[in-house]
Amino acid sequence: MDRRSFLNLLGKGLLASSTISLFPSLVWGKTSFDYALEGQNLIQGGSYEKAVKALKEAVRLDPESDWAFGLLGRAYRGLGRKAEAVDAFRQAVRLNPEDVYSRMMTEIMTQKPIPKLKKTKKPLTSLEKKALEEEAQMLSWLRSEDGLRYQVKRVVIDAGHGGFDSGAVGKAGLKEKDVTLDLAKRLHQRLQRSGGIKSFLTRTGDYYVPLSERTVIANQYHADLFISIHINANKNRDARGSETYFCSERASSKEAARVAALENAVLKYDTPFKKRRGYIDIEEILFQFERKLYWSESGKFARGFQKRFGQYLPLKSRGVHSANFYVLRKAKMPSILLETGFISNPRNESMLKQDVFRERIVDAIVRGLV
Amino acid sequence: MRIRGRVVIFAVLVFFCWSGVALAADVNDLLFRGADFHYKGKLDEAIASFQATVRVDPGNEYAHNQLGILYAKKERFNDAFREFSRVVQIDHRNTYALLWLGILYLRQNDLNNAFEKFQEIIRIDPNNADAYYYLGAIYNFRHNPAKAIEYLKKARDADSGEADTHYRLGKAFHNVDMIYNALLEYDRALRLKPSYTAAINETGWIYYNHGNYEQAVKEWKKTLKINSRDRDAIFNLAKAYNDLAWKALSSGDKKKAVRYWKKTLAINPSNKAAKYNLKKYGKY
Repeated sequence: MDRRSFLNLLGKGLLASSTISLFPSLVWGKTSFDYALEGQNLIQGGSYEKAVKALKEAVRLDPESDWAFGLLGRAYRGLGRKAEAVDAFRQAVRLNPEDVYSRMMTEIMTQKPIPKLKKTKKPLTSLEKKALEEEAQMLSWLRSEDGLRYQVKRVVIDAGHGGFDSGAVGKAGLKEKDVTLDLAKRLHQRLQRSGGIKSFLTRTGDYYVPLSERTVIANQYHADLFISIHINANKNRDARGSETYFCSERASSKEAARVAALENAVLKYDTPFKKRRGYIDIEEILFQFERKLYWSESGKFARGFQKRFGQYLPLKSRGVHSANFYVLRKAKMPSILLETGFISNPRNESMLKQDVFRERIVDAIVRGLV
Repeated sequence: MRIRGRVVIFAVLVFFCWSGVALAADVNDLLFRGADFHYKGKLDEAIASFQATVRVDPGNEYAHNQLGILYAKKERFNDAFREFSRVVQIDHRNTYALLWLGILYLRQNDLNNAFEKFQEIIRIDPNNADAYYYLGAIYNFRHNPAKAIEYLKKARDADSGEADTHYRLGKAFHNVDMIYNALLEYDRALRLKPSYTAAINETGWIYYNHGNYEQAVKEWKKTLKINSRDRDAIFNLAKAYNDLAWKALSSGDKKKAVRYWKKTLAINPSNKAAKYNLKKYGKY
């Protein structure tokens, strides 16, 4: 190499190094920041199309840049592409909840209809494939019903007491737990035979099931109605007849309130709902709505059952009562408690022993369900 | 005279243009300040900002909507209702205000009016995920799973980023024993919100009802790790342990049964069934 070509090469090298130091992006490429800055300038100049291009590159290089997403939202908004704009603003807020501008823009733009954003399809997972197959099989015969009528297709039948808890015992030795179990089984079999309504039992034998577990079973099977069967008792042996209880915010009588208070005292698991000030909990609104709806439906069912008892049973109708039963309250469906006669009343007790009378009770319950 | 007239007109035009710009700047500033206060939880300051906005610009739908939300947060529900109704008067296509009117009706247990508002939104905007969500939730409450599935699927397809939508859709599928779909939706809810204990608990029931007790127990324990006082998980576990104890006892394994009842009591110390059975069989 002669001296001249050496100086030439040195000169080129110096030029290259100075260029690199002045414009590093020529060698290492532009960063997300560079593209975002470029996008910002383009937005200010009104070149939204070019801005979108630059900003898409910015978010591709740095998907965590809330600044670039916010700018992308502005650029799309400038082009009138609302769906994309909202999507970008939402992304900006997700990345930086303190981005008040993007939050405000999302809220302003979504006040009114915006077009749907096209989604890219991903390959299905094995669970998604199974779900699709299942849906194809099931939805074709799933009966779709309009209207807001409450529908009962699954019932949990609860035989009161059991095991060491015999419930009330009649003068002639008849135990409440045995009658309730027999009635529950008869009702279960009747519903199985007639089809249309699926039923589940909280107990199938002579064992004790805690109260809390009984509603858990109803929730386990996603029942539409929880029916708890009991036989009444009273110190006064003349007391007789049938009555139906349901859960409500207010007790219908002092006696009902006393019974509910007694039951509620044993449970201590729920932490009281702490209301956050300055906050609207939509899910809590829905929960309260759902609960009140179930209580109101419970009242309707209770009146329906009691009406049937009055019509079809040779028992005095003692009416419908309500109280805030903790256990019934936690059922995620309407729930009622039937008292079909007084075991403490010798005449009622002798009727309760008879198969024919038990069948009549089941008849009345089925009619109440239908 | 002619020239003077032109000057006056020009001056008036300049004034109006300038005041218009100033007004817009004021409104935007007030809106931004209001939004900022709102985000920071300074509700009274936010209300003052948005009230000032609607004094300057009475037709500003966003400001009225924000006032509605803020009043609702302050539990001034009648004022909230008035603000959202005002927005609908300004523009009946403002689906945000209609949605909130529907929610306020739900709060008052007025099912029919709430339902009507959500239906109205769908008529205006067939892609409104929120309206589909509430309609689906209402059908779920009415135990009409077919309709609930129909609406919640639309909500999911319009916006798949809401854990609550997946959860409620999962419940609707669960109601008709479409367990793969239910599992899928619970799983999607949990991907979006891993602490969604209700979805974990329901997943537990799917396993339990299909005989996979071990997995069910694991799910409910997962819930208790997130919230040790979760009532559903506590009672679900107590029930599962009691069932397993009975199963062990009926197959002649009393030791195993006792172990399970002990577990029941550990999770639910007031469980009368476990207490009684431990007393009876505890010596084994």
